Amino acid sequence: MKKFLLFIGVLFAATLATNEASAQIKVGNGQISVALESNNIYYAPDKRMVELGLDKPEDRIRGNFGSNDYLKVDYRQGRFSVGVQVDGYLPGLYGYDMYTYQQRKSTLSAFLTKYVQWEDANWGVRVGDIFDQFGNGLIFRTYEDRNLGFNNSLAGARAYYNFNNMVNVKVLAGMPRLYDVRSKNPVWGADLSLSISDMAGWYDGIISIEGSYVGRYQKGATELFPTKEEFGTTVVGVDSDIVNMVSGRANFEYKGFSFRGEYVTKLNNDKFNAALSASKGNVINIDLGYNYKRFSASATFRRQENMAAPIELVESGIGGGNTINYIPLITRQHTYSLANLNPYRGTSVHTGGEIGGQIDLYYSLRNPKVRGKYWNFHANFSMFNTLNHKSGDMDMKSRNAWIDFNFDVERQWNKSVKTTLFYSYQRWDEEINHYDSPTAHYCDSHIFVADVTYKINKKHSVRVELQYLNSNDYEGDWVAGTIEYNFAPKFSFYVSDMWNCEAMQDGQYGNGIWNPDTLEYEGNALLHYYQVGASFTHDFLRVQLSYGRNRAGYVCSGGSCRYQPAFTGANLAFTLSF
Amino acid sequence: MKKLMVLMLGLMIGFTASAQSLPDVKVETQDGKTISVTELADGTPMIISFWSTTCKPCVMELNAINDNLYDWLDEVDMKVVAVSVDDARTVSRARAMTQGQGWDDFVCLYDKNQDFKRAMNVSLTPHTFVVDGDGNIIASHSGYTPGSEQELFEEIKALQ
Repeated sequence: MKKFLLFIGVLFAATLATNEASAQIKVGNGQISVALESNNIYYAPDKRMVELGLDKPEDRIRGNFGSNDYLKVDYRQGRFSVGVQVDGYLPGLYGYDMYTYQQRKSTLSAFLTKYVQWEDANWGVRVGDIFDQFGNGLIFRTYEDRNLGFNNSLAGARAYYNFNNMVNVKVLAGMPRLYDVRSKNPVWGADLSLSISDMAGWYDGIISIEGSYVGRYQKGATELFPTKEEFGTTVVGVDSDIVNMVSGRANFEYKGFSFRGEYVTKLNNDKFNAALSASKGNVINIDLGYNYKRFSASATFRRQENMAAPIELVESGIGGGNTINYIPLITRQHTYSLANLNPYRGTSVHTGGEIGGQIDLYYSLRNPKVRGKYWNFHANFSMFNTLNHKSGDMDMKSRNAWIDFNFDVERQWNKSVKTTLFYSYQRWDEEINHYDSPTAHYCDSHIFVADVTYKINKKHSVRVELQYLNSNDYEGDWVAGTIEYNFAPKFSFYVSDMWNCEAMQDGQYGNGIWNPDTLEYEGNALLHYYQVGASFTHDFLRVQLSYGRNRAGYVCSGGSCRYQPAFTGANLAFTLSF
Repeated sequence: MKKLMVLMLGLMIGFTASAQSLPDVKVETQDGKTISVTELADGTPMIISFWSTTCKPCVMELNAINDNLYDWLDEVDMKVVAVSVDDARTVSRARAMTQGQGWDDFVCLYDKNQDFKRAMNVSLTPHTFVVDGDGNIIASHSGYTPGSEQELFEEIKALQ
């Protein structure tokens, strides 16, 4: 901790002392760039939260401080680049999967990734940690998401060659990262795309066909997961130590219209859920897009069955980041807190698959000659159902798991006033969100938001946000508000509160204290989740400081989610890059 | 740890004020073609803004730039490059949004594999860069507060 603070102090002092807008280090003809991101939380005791059983300090076995830090240093000279990244978990923040992985050790942990790369006009080679994806990532994707604490970069090699934009070939192989360890399971793959339009010399649109292959090996998987009888039912095992997957894609774009289709299939039995049989899998994904002037529409249809492909088969690998492919949620990820209280998290993990889609419509009404005065309209609809499947010996019929209909209207009245009105109707099956239950229990929520920004002058502005959620779920109704004051371009302050204003629902639900003797919730929590915060930005430095209560819930980013237990605490986050 | 600190200190002392340049990485254009980022340096100064569909302040910043763009173009020669860091899941939504928000005057790029984002050391969006016509990075800003777009304009003006 001391060393860490000293290190941060030195870095800050040195950075502020230079005070150059885009300072950098020249080495020969090349240049070095450095980026540091640090996210620190001090977990403060909160009697009320502990009393209600919402905050469990005894679960924070690494104490009351957590820090996730990332230092990245790159050197670049023309087409050549080389870099390292050190991730420090000192210890890791509570609620990230890394916390669970770290529990296996008693010390703080760090992880080093590195690469060397040559990027030519038509070809490129990279050795070291690789971030890449084939097609939509449904078959293969390695990426980093610091909000979720995911990083599955492949330590190995990658090469690609592009022939006149007509043919693009890529091959790669390596060992994926699994949180703070390097998996011993090798992953390899190849990707080919053919641009028919370029071959035919047609440049008004795009026609292309693409295909990929990906394999993964886990030593002794067949012996570890044999087919067996369990409680009178047959649990199918893994049929091969190697899992092979293939993907085929077709893309078409012409005059504002676009079609992208992908079919992915897993050819061997793979085990991603301890309770489910190992199985083959597949995904169909279709994206349609259309735009005309200031109107645009996009729609996605997807059906997936048992397609999750873990780096390490369940039992040796855990966490949402234990994956070599990427099957994200495609429902809208809301930015208003109450609309995000119970996000859709997918049903595949319990039921093996899902079918559904989403549609987005955008329209901007404006006079092209008059800026600073317009209407923006946006509507979105998404719906997902489970697939017909077996739960043990029981046949489970397909049923609705999620619906979200939402729209927002944004109006810039003049140079100083802007308003946004937002509404969302969400319906979800509470049972299927937690486990594969034969009976459905639907919750309906209506969320209303009004958001006003008033620009006092060129530097000062105020933003006020009011939210109301009406729901018949176990927590009932909520109200929320935020006031934000900005001094451009350096400072911003905010105060916000989320209040669970209706604790009991027909004596059935509530967020009071559960009494096992009476089998009822007693007392009303009516808890305020308050936050105060400030941020400071100066050139390449950004510092954010906040304090408040955080509700237990799902944090989603890029279509993946992680569960964050409730806590009260102070958060200091900063980034600097040059 | 000590070694690392010494290295960092060494790096700080080595600072010069000369500008960093755009990296040679590939991104997709609005019409689905792949280009190298270095092709952006065509003599016109630019604002490069990294955004995503789920980042509200990013959209606010790009809208504010869009509102001011005609006034700015009266005074200076410049362009605005909006780089979406949305992944394959939301890239079609990002394409729809650029049209639906009326960002017709922007150069819209799609960094699906986030190679450009990584090369520019962008960790939090919005992150905005002011770049001169030769591709040298003049200034960098992370975060958005209403009104801070004026600062970008002042920096572009200083380049003329």
